[in-house]
Amino acid sequence: MRFAFTEDQIALHDAVRDLLNDHSNAAQLREAWGNETGRTASAWGALHAMGAIDAMRAEADGGLGFNEVDAILIAEASGRVALAEPIIETMMVAAPLNLVTIGLSAAVVTHESPFAPWADTAEVIIELAADGIRSRHRQDTTLTPRSSVDGARRLFAVSPNTEVAPASTEVALAFRRGALGTAAQLCGLSETMITVTVAYAKERKQFGVPIGSFQAVKHHLANARTKLEFARPLVYRAAASLRDRDAEAGVHVSMAKAAASDAAMVAAKASLQCHGAIGYTTEADLHLYMKRAWALGGSWGDAAWHRRQITNHLERAPIGER
Amino acid sequence: MHVVVCVKQIPDPAVPGALNADHTLKREGKPILDESDSYGVEMALQLVDAAGGGEVTLISMAANEETAGLRTALAMGAAKAVLVSDPACAGSDALGTAKALAKAVERAGSVDLVLTATESSDGYTGTVPAQMAELLGWPALTFAKKVDIADGTVTIQRQTEAGYDTVQASLPALVSVTAGVVEPRYPSFKGIMAAKNKPVDICTAADLGLDGQLGWAGARQTITNVENAPARQAGEKFEDDGTGFEKVVSFLENLKVI
Repeated sequence: MRFAFTEDQIALHDAVRDLLNDHSNAAQLREAWGNETGRTASAWGALHAMGAIDAMRAEADGGLGFNEVDAILIAEASGRVALAEPIIETMMVAAPLNLVTIGLSAAVVTHESPFAPWADTAEVIIELAADGIRSRHRQDTTLTPRSSVDGARRLFAVSPNTEVAPASTEVALAFRRGALGTAAQLCGLSETMITVTVAYAKERKQFGVPIGSFQAVKHHLANARTKLEFARPLVYRAAASLRDRDAEAGVHVSMAKAAASDAAMVAAKASLQCHGAIGYTTEADLHLYMKRAWALGGSWGDAAWHRRQITNHLERAPIGER
Repeated sequence: MHVVVCVKQIPDPAVPGALNADHTLKREGKPILDESDSYGVEMALQLVDAAGGGEVTLISMAANEETAGLRTALAMGAAKAVLVSDPACAGSDALGTAKALAKAVERAGSVDLVLTATESSDGYTGTVPAQMAELLGWPALTFAKKVDIADGTVTIQRQTEAGYDTVQASLPALVSVTAGVVEPRYPSFKGIMAAKNKPVDICTAADLGLDGQLGWAGARQTITNVENAPARQAGEKFEDDGTGFEKVVSFLENLKVI
């Protein structure tokens, strides 16, 4: 089995990365923190023009028919810059099931993530309920703002004003795609937090030498890097399982999300500590990534919830297959 | 309309560069499209669009059959490429490069316009565009910050220190464009996936009738030595005793900035 990305997948990732470096850098993310919508000025339009948002939509519906493995590096790139746009909700959850029109954005509520990010600017609100996926125009819901640790990721409680029949029964698939995309974003965030902190540890001097030369600092960062390097293959594996509609795809996604959430928490903690007092300030870019990591760590099921899914799965399996 | 764009595949500037023992740049690793050439590619695509049809052909030269940088420009929308690739290209001077590219333009078929950057980001000689125009026997319009095509003529705004000159010539012609002439587009997903199937015509020095004229063999220029650029002088430091602004003002006046 070939377990590496194709040249095409890497080229597509590089194009998205370059675009996001121009449209979603730290300064633009800070603007999103302070503006009306919490979203960036130009990233969504540029990603849409590139074809990224509709990549997983079926070709018959005007998309490119990408699978989960094709999309995973794009999700990871969006995490690396803490993209303040509903890309996972739209690209991975709504568009593949054709629940949102091309060019528009979607917000998603699930049992595990009851508050929908950026719901006030999304045209479509998707509800993943036990009996099916319901899709409503935003105007057919009442939104109540909720506070979030991440100032760009505006959260809303959603109460529907209309009764609608489920538009799709693919609840498990949609949830797994959302959790998988979020796990990939958490890997991207871990990568950025480690990169930012390594750069700071080389620059910041104490006792006349860069703090990165102290073993205590090196160990923290090495631990964070190790966690990330162990989480990432689980995310890629889960993407391959979802693509192949593997019977165990659900448990693979849970392993990925649990490991990616844990890795991001370790990266956030190590980065905060290695930054020292400056890490606690909003002037340091670190907080942009750290707070997104905290927010996403608890979304689409936190690490404990996903571990419980894995436990349940193991308990269900016949003794000989455990 | 058929527009040819000269593009160079250069070592990634994000990776620290290194020199070979013969003072030439090490060109290992995957090359990228020279960013200054992306403006020419975008300009060409816009001119072809404005003309209501036609195509954009890329021409490039590389010592080995490298196409990674070309694929980026093909993904942006160019239709095909001619790549002069021959181990004999290694060590070419600016004139040798211009000869190869001029022959490649002829190989590309009937061409209305050639676009180039003002200079490459790894060589910086800035002489290839004018040399190519001379070899082709076409007018050279350089440092364009705006390009318009109408009725068989090309009109540019030629960037000067004080502003710009308006320069006009009949087609075919060669135009070098400055960075910022247009905003290069991002390649689309469809463009990236289509790029790998677009034709790249790889030809050698012999194919172009330039046997023995390229590379070290044909170079009239030798590199005798390479030195680091002199380190920047330390600036002047003043303790601000409340009159620091006067020092700043007189410094700026000296520079004739204010």
